[in-house]
Amino acid sequence: MTLRTLTSTCVALAMASFASASDLLAIKVGHAETISHGRIDHAVILIEDGKIVTIGQDLPIERGIPVIDVPNLWVMPGLVDAYSRIGLEGRAGSEFTPENKAENELFPRNDDYQEVLNAGVTTLGQYPAGTGGVPGQACVVRPKGATKQEMLIKSGAYLMIVFRADARSKKMVRDAFEKATEYADKEKKAREKFDKDQASKKKSDEKKPEDKKDEKKEGSSASAQDGAAADDKQSDKKDESGGTKYTPPEPDEKTKPILDLRAGKLRALVTLFQAADWLHFKDAIKEEKFGYDLRIPMTRETDIFEIMKEVGEKKLRIVCEPEITLTPSTMRQRNLPSEFVKAGAKLVFLPRQDTIAIGANPFSGSAPMTPFKSWLRSVGEIVAAGLDRDVALRAVTLEPAEMLGLADRVGSLDKGKDANLVFYTDDPIEPMTRLKAVMLEGRVVHGEVKQ
Amino acid sequence: MKFQRRLWLAAFSLSFAFAFAPKAMAWVQEGGEGSSSEKKDEKKDDKKKEDEWFAVKNADVYTGTGAVIRGACVLSKNGKIEKISTEVDIPDGAKVLDAGGLRVYPGLVAFNSNGLFGAASTDFQDTVNPFAQNLVLALGNGITSTGQGGAALKLKRGEIEGVVMRDRYLVPLTYANSNPSGKKSLVDKLEATAKYLREMREWEEKKKSDKDAKEPAKKDADSSILQVLKGEVLARFQADSREDILAIARLAQKYGFRPVIEGCQEGWAVADDLGRAGAYAVITPRDRRDKSEELIAASGTSIENAAILWQHGVQVAIIPSARGVDLGGIAGRDILALQIEAGFAIRGGMPPKAAFDAITSVPARLLGVDYRIGTLEVGKDCDLIVTDGDVLHYQTFVQQAVVDGKLVYEKNKETYYAQIRPRSESALAPEKRVDKGQQSPDEKTSAEGAKDEKKSDEKKPSDEKKDDKKGG
Repeated sequence: MTLRTLTSTCVALAMASFASASDLLAIKVGHAETISHGRIDHAVILIEDGKIVTIGQDLPIERGIPVIDVPNLWVMPGLVDAYSRIGLEGRAGSEFTPENKAENELFPRNDDYQEVLNAGVTTLGQYPAGTGGVPGQACVVRPKGATKQEMLIKSGAYLMIVFRADARSKKMVRDAFEKATEYADKEKKAREKFDKDQASKKKSDEKKPEDKKDEKKEGSSASAQDGAAADDKQSDKKDESGGTKYTPPEPDEKTKPILDLRAGKLRALVTLFQAADWLHFKDAIKEEKFGYDLRIPMTRETDIFEIMKEVGEKKLRIVCEPEITLTPSTMRQRNLPSEFVKAGAKLVFLPRQDTIAIGANPFSGSAPMTPFKSWLRSVGEIVAAGLDRDVALRAVTLEPAEMLGLADRVGSLDKGKDANLVFYTDDPIEPMTRLKAVMLEGRVVHGEVKQ
Repeated sequence: MKFQRRLWLAAFSLSFAFAFAPKAMAWVQEGGEGSSSEKKDEKKDDKKKEDEWFAVKNADVYTGTGAVIRGACVLSKNGKIEKISTEVDIPDGAKVLDAGGLRVYPGLVAFNSNGLFGAASTDFQDTVNPFAQNLVLALGNGITSTGQGGAALKLKRGEIEGVVMRDRYLVPLTYANSNPSGKKSLVDKLEATAKYLREMREWEEKKKSDKDAKEPAKKDADSSILQVLKGEVLARFQADSREDILAIARLAQKYGFRPVIEGCQEGWAVADDLGRAGAYAVITPRDRRDKSEELIAASGTSIENAAILWQHGVQVAIIPSARGVDLGGIAGRDILALQIEAGFAIRGGMPPKAAFDAITSVPARLLGVDYRIGTLEVGKDCDLIVTDGDVLHYQTFVQQAVVDGKLVYEKNKETYYAQIRPRSESALAPEKRVDKGQQSPDEKTSAEGAKDEKKSDEKKPSDEKKDDKKGG
């Protein structure tokens, strides 16, 4: 109970700008795509403080609760785009900057975010600028808010690694893990020494002041990765003086994210451009174990199907655009997203292009709508070409939510989750369907639904 | 006193005997233990990783060593040739390719090529694209190894391990009459290095008797030229005119190394000099070069170039004029026309066997990997091609290609040549087992296909067609 009130106050605080949070609201809707447990016809969704309290078929609604009654509409959870740079300002590089965070580039008053909302996208994973190397950590935002704090849902959502089959990429990855190992060894030594000293101290029961200073020194020298001898001396000093609590040496800022990767605190999103990159990536990480997803741009004649079997067996998650591709050097079409799913992979879809502008579409010439607004339509095309419908809907909601580590908050219509709802006039992936309204955490932020 | 001494002696001799006897015993024991433990280790390894067997049977095996074994089987264990014979017991679990009525040759070696491994041009271990289309096309034309950027590479499909066989075996040097300063600097380097080498050898001799002998200073000695003079690597020149070729031959003879001369268009005119210098020539029989009108002596290109050089004892490697895969323009001049180019050497009088060597064992030697590839011999890598005729005949197609004991190309399964003169299923008569694990990528992905191998083996003809379309 306390936890709920706490989180709801947090949400209320976060939404301070959109007027006070409403208490209770019921929605009666023709069809609800819950994503997590199928479709509910004649669904009733009860919302309190921007969260879904209950959802079910033909639930009784207490008198006095305001009701939105839309029996002709369909509702599904707000779309989650896990990989976007909409609204961010930053310079692209190709360096090793894992400590870099995408939220530093956030520019809250950007009008583009409203466009994102208008397309039904209520959760946005934003990645730091970078065309190669390790650009940094992504964050998750709600596309509304006047300040960074209001927008930011999660920091450090995933560590981006842009991997190409070249000596530089491989060295970068190898070195990163090597440094992490170096640190781990150092930490282990420091701990052993500490334990030893603790034991000896118990015997002699001596105590000396001036402790913190040395610790700081130790930390800075560890980060500098200097000669081990000097460090040892200092840690000796520290341990002799002895604090009762063990403080591990501070890892340097570039090493920490890698340690987090190893510890499972952070996932990686590895961009691969061709099948060969995968082989070289595996060669670079060797036995290293950490959680990662694969970002695979679905280019016209991609050869990524070469690694499909292995990716499927490993049940990896692939992040790609809903595109039909061609077998290289032929005009034979392939539905790779569908093939990957059949092989066992998990699927996250992105809009065809990461822009809210009306621009050229690489496949069908000029797009009639922005890639965001035609997102579900393009997903529908892949479904028409053979992808399982449930998998497709999951690929734009719950799967990206899981990838961002936010499956407990967004991505499906379930009790306790944020009331991010998108209303459609018909089945969301049908081409004739129009988007009617978008609700973000219990508030209608685009369109209208009658009350 | 005497007694005491005797006792002492006895004790000494006893201790002496004890000191040695156990050692000898221990040695025996150690030997026994060693061998038994080795056996144990082997057994463990067997358990850990099962041997991968592969066999091509019923083929006429052209080994490239001169021997042709008809109706023989080539057996490969973990990528190395275990046996070539008409009597081979194929182990259980081996993948078997029935090449009845077909021929088996060692995989062809392109002395030099580019673009077969995608965009890779340096650091091959970190950059090769083993899925590149050009790689498949090259395999489809029989090439299983190539030189690129000074490295000897193997066309491993879908693998990056073991692609680089050897790096920097060829040292490029320039020695052309059009570049006198370059000529001088090379001679200076050679002179200095040869001097250093002489002094070094002298010193090594001296060192045996006089420990204080001074080690010679390296000074201007060039490390790569030192390797050339020691015979550890080969020096590679580019030369076409008879003057340049002659100059290189004389230089090589003077300093005692064997030069590799690329181009070598007028080599036939100075073939005896080249033969005496022990030169290697890398030539393109279809090259064209006009006769120099200023010279009375023979010059210009000749269709007989390869034949004449070969007759004079020059080891000849053949390479087409374009080193990449070129699918536009005039066909048949790019790297895929390797054996066609060798055919032109035969037209000029070169014996077919020599022409075949010029695209297999000789380039393998020039790349420093002839101990692994170039011919089919026991202990060498199992890199071979299965053809439906003489490999040098223009009508012949590569039906299958095998690299390191793995089937990496099948004509009837790839998009490129499958439709040209397809062999009927009965003629191919492959055993069902061959298909195991060699499904088309399309099949691999379908969940049922991956799980249920039986089904994929009993493919319907309509499925076959589909595979052909999508394979690649």
